[in-house]
Amino acid sequence: MAQRSPSRRRQLNHESFMDYSLLFIVLFLLGFGLIMVYSTSSYEANLELGDSTYYLRKQVFATILGLIAMIAVANVPYHFWERFAVIGYIVSVVLILLIIPFGHESHGAKRWLYIGPISLQPAEVAKLCMILFLASMICTMGKQIRGRKGFLTVLAVPMPIAFMLWQITNNLSSAIIVVGIAALMLFVSCPDYKRFIILGLTGLALAALAVFAIVQMASAQAGTGEGDVGFRGERILAWLDPEAYSSGKGFQTIQALYAIGSGGVLGKGLGASMQKLGFLPEAQNDMIFSIICEELGLFGGFAVIIMFIMLIWRFMVIANNAPDLFGALLVVGVLGHIAIQVILNIAVVTNTIPNTGISLPFISYGGSSVMFLLIEIGLVLSVARGIRLKDL
Amino acid sequence: MVEEAPHQQKTYHRSKTVTVMFLCLLVFAVLMGRLVYLMVFRSEYYTMKAKELHERERSIKAARGRIIDANGKILADNKTVCTISVIHSQITDKEKVIAVLSRELGLSEEYVRKRVEKISSIEKIRSNVDKSIGDAVRAYDLAGVKVDEDFKRYYPYDSLGSKVLGFTGGDNQGIIGLEVVYEEYLQGKAGTILTVTDAMGVEVAEAGEERVEPVEGKDLYISMDMNIQSYATQLALQTMETKEADSVSILVMNPQNGEILAMVNVPEFDLNDPYALPDTVNAEGLSEEKKQELLNGIWRNGCINDTYEPGSTFKIVTAAAGLESGAVKTTDTFNCPGYIMVEDRRIRCHKVGGHGAEDFVKATMNSCNPVFITVGLRIGAERYYSYFEKFGLLDKTGIDLPGEAGTIMHKLEDIGPVELATISFGQSFQITPIQLAVTAASIINGGRRVTPHFGVRTADSDGSNSRTFDYPVKDNIVSEETSASMRYILEQVVAEGSGKNGAVEGYRVGGKTATSQTLPRGSGRYIASFLGFAPADDPKVLAVAIINDPQGTYYGGQIAAPVIRQLFENILPYLEKMDYNRT
Repeated sequence: MAQRSPSRRRQLNHESFMDYSLLFIVLFLLGFGLIMVYSTSSYEANLELGDSTYYLRKQVFATILGLIAMIAVANVPYHFWERFAVIGYIVSVVLILLIIPFGHESHGAKRWLYIGPISLQPAEVAKLCMILFLASMICTMGKQIRGRKGFLTVLAVPMPIAFMLWQITNNLSSAIIVVGIAALMLFVSCPDYKRFIILGLTGLALAALAVFAIVQMASAQAGTGEGDVGFRGERILAWLDPEAYSSGKGFQTIQALYAIGSGGVLGKGLGASMQKLGFLPEAQNDMIFSIICEELGLFGGFAVIIMFIMLIWRFMVIANNAPDLFGALLVVGVLGHIAIQVILNIAVVTNTIPNTGISLPFISYGGSSVMFLLIEIGLVLSVARGIRLKDL
Repeated sequence: MVEEAPHQQKTYHRSKTVTVMFLCLLVFAVLMGRLVYLMVFRSEYYTMKAKELHERERSIKAARGRIIDANGKILADNKTVCTISVIHSQITDKEKVIAVLSRELGLSEEYVRKRVEKISSIEKIRSNVDKSIGDAVRAYDLAGVKVDEDFKRYYPYDSLGSKVLGFTGGDNQGIIGLEVVYEEYLQGKAGTILTVTDAMGVEVAEAGEERVEPVEGKDLYISMDMNIQSYATQLALQTMETKEADSVSILVMNPQNGEILAMVNVPEFDLNDPYALPDTVNAEGLSEEKKQELLNGIWRNGCINDTYEPGSTFKIVTAAAGLESGAVKTTDTFNCPGYIMVEDRRIRCHKVGGHGAEDFVKATMNSCNPVFITVGLRIGAERYYSYFEKFGLLDKTGIDLPGEAGTIMHKLEDIGPVELATISFGQSFQITPIQLAVTAASIINGGRRVTPHFGVRTADSDGSNSRTFDYPVKDNIVSEETSASMRYILEQVVAEGSGKNGAVEGYRVGGKTATSQTLPRGSGRYIASFLGFAPADDPKVLAVAIINDPQGTYYGGQIAAPVIRQLFENILPYLEKMDYNRT
């Protein structure tokens, strides 16, 4: 049966399969995101800029650009990009280095490059290029990856980028995401579990030790009155007891908790948030999930999480049915990126982990972020198009 | 083998992708649990905290209780006024706001600018603005300008009883008079408006507001009778005018229970404009301190805040002490040669030739100094002093008005014969007019020392929850017999003696005149006074008139007694008609 006209059938399936479930989920998240960006930003935008739709319009523009890029990428066979893997890595490094002379500062952090009217976050470029580079590299390595050398090599690849993101752009969250993407891709491509369990436990132990050390330092310094545990140390103390730091490092967290807590089960209703009226500054950015909870309640919060779970489920389905390892690894990389970012964002907003600036994919305000995420979705759709229906 | 490798790899990478998926699910489950904890179990706490953060409190003034006279006439009321404030963050056209507010409110531009430019959530520009001005400001519809209505004290009779009623300040708090003393009843309890605001304090209109209604103050019913008070005021003004006096005070009270029907101290001031200086004062170039001093002088209630040498009216006290102690009997006879020697001092009688032979009643009718000195000396310093104390003259009367002055009296050990002699006819010590009135009332009412007062009862504005005040009464300060003798003697004073100008046809009036010098002696300034009561056999009303520094004739019997006569001619029929017997 398969011999009769294999190429024609494959061709047929190849061209006809489009993962509409994934597309629908993404479009839903984008639409919902725009509504929430308008809801959270309109009051302050009107007050400060005299235009309640200022942020909404910028975000709509970036979303349209992103969708065009997504459609373009989805229509290009994904192997086309393999040749850019090494160049992409180099471009990431150069863009990050360009921050030093040309970086644009905003909100006290130098993270943006301006190319004409378009602002670009090198961190977003770096995440995409890392996925591409590692997918290509792991495929080339083949079985070598199973050895200790291969394992350590893959683990070492994201480190220079992560270190630069951390040190140059002062963006620890992006560094964590880059390392996280690499770790997940490595995990999927190795048959081994033991190493990862050890790695995970070591990481947890180090984190716990750091928190313990900072708390000890703070209590030792409490008597002397000069609580200098550093910028990140204070964030950890604020995480443990946000109300004690409510005027400083814990301010944003406390305001987010007020928003979430006051939402209750059913929420105050779309548009009815009080916390967005200046109490929670720039609610359209990283803390947008807290306003979703305030306005739409526990149900709204759960709905958003369930949408992301469905998105990850689609990624898993596509990765496991990808025509080859390269495609599967690309999808796993995107899955890792989005999953880590969603988890970290919600964990930060609910004060489950210490505060670190991280946006909620597809929903938070931010042009670079949504554009590069849509390019990644384009890649995933491109991989999905290679799936043969009989494999599903 | 080569074929198998990718297949094998594919198998484990599939299972590993599934593992990743389940790891993610696990983490999401934890986060959802965290959300449930925050949004269900901690919801109440965070909702409360958020509400605290979002709500601002504004207070609503409570309507102050009214002051109502004995006939139900309202002496102090409330009218609607406006408070004008600005909310800095809402102002769009700053210059226009400054221009409009300074013009409409009559304030200097500088003053308004300072407040408009101050960065605060809400800044009061002016309170107690007339409703018409408030409406005018509101008509401009300026962003950031707030016009709140509340109550202002309003006195329908302007200056009537000004020094008794008192007035209120910008926050509706009593400043002087009854408004201060009955503050706790009158003030009520302020309510609050809880409004929801954004982080900059701008009210969120859709959120609505929560109100805690104010509790209005209780109405104060006082014993002052507006009709008597206004007639007495006219009399006092007329007297001040014709006698070119500095000031005239008239006090009318019920000697049986201490209720005060009128207390006039002219010149009075306008309660609706208490900070205005009289036209005669050149206010320019006066320091604030000096102005305040002048105002304090204007607000002074002479009947209770100032002391004076009572002079001959005090012979009532000497007579009562003499009769009570047995030092003198009404039938005792004396001889007045026109003076008396006390130690080496020769104290003259006001009648240079002397009154000759006279009994005690006649001596009182003549207001004969030598006789009273004799009586005083017979009583003796120690006994006299103990009566002074027993009559309550050393204590304050306890009237329900602020700032009552105490008696200025010699110490017992300093009272020698000369001092005792002068005390006997009302000199060398000082008391307040109210003190004299209350002491005289207590002597003629059968010996019960009453507490003078205005406050009768309080009640809610609809008249419910009435609460009547009790005032202490000290019994038996003199015997009923002495009291009766005093009534008889004092009636004779008016009927045929020095107080005959106080007589009212058809009524039995008792009384005593006085002419005292103001200190320092020899200044040529006098105080003419008269204390009268009626009916003489069963006193229902007692009145005192005090004329400060009259020009021309200054004898109490000549100028003060006619004032009380005119007063009685008018109020005695009125009181009969009002069926005045509240004893």
